Amino acid sequence: MEVLKKGRPGFLGLGAEEATVRVTKRSAEAEPASVILAEEILEKLLALMKIRASVGLKQPSPQEGAGGLAPIALEITGEDLGILIGRRGQTLSSLQYLVYLMVSQQMKARVSVTIDVEGYRERREAALRNLAQRMAEGVKASRQSVTLEPMPPRERRLIHLALQDYPDVVTQSIGEGEDRKVTILYKKE
Amino acid sequence: MKELIEYIAKSIANNPDAVVVTEEREDGDDERVTLKLQVDPEDMGRVIGKQGRVAQAMRTLLRVKAVKEGVRVNLEIG
Repeated sequence: MEVLKKGRPGFLGLGAEEATVRVTKRSAEAEPASVILAEEILEKLLALMKIRASVGLKQPSPQEGAGGLAPIALEITGEDLGILIGRRGQTLSSLQYLVYLMVSQQMKARVSVTIDVEGYRERREAALRNLAQRMAEGVKASRQSVTLEPMPPRERRLIHLALQDYPDVVTQSIGEGEDRKVTILYKKE
Repeated sequence: MKELIEYIAKSIANNPDAVVVTEEREDGDDERVTLKLQVDPEDMGRVIGKQGRVAQAMRTLLRVKAVKEGVRVNLEIG
């Protein structure tokens, strides 16, 4: 609610003026300034990279965004966008990180930004959970440890979380930097 | 090429007016583009980032464009 004109109480009811206020309904359509800014920045970056695609808003996952500005989730749709994802999602991570910095700098506050391309992140997450289950089954059956391929921090975290309650196995990250990977170990009694 | 870096650097710098990007092209069998990014000394940390993370991200996006244009691109900061 925004006060356009302050009312005046007047004197004994004489000369009183009513206040004028504008009430904005908070609906799903009303996008906050940070969201509009994030969309604009991403569109501009894609245009400068000569990539034809459209940018839309994606429903953010509810577990995100403790305090501060609401997290922003954007989705890029278009054709032939593999180039935007890159090897192990590296290009998408770079794009997401820069948009986060640019939006945060302009909003003067940290704004969480996630960007997906054609549902890539969801597909990748489902594939990783699936991989974690299969590998853990193998470790449990063979009692032999298995090391997965190198993954970025977010993906390793997903594997650790997926297997935290899995019986008879423990997970651990080994290696440094780009080469860091998850090992699934058989837990001895 | 340089507009992309200019736009990113100006958006993350505290002093966007001091952001200057110059572009040099060397023709040859494979065309090479060298971009030089200069910023206010106070903004150096912002455009490079911890362990060069911001610079790395800018180079990654630059590579996408370079691949599309069939050139080799190099980003120098400082």
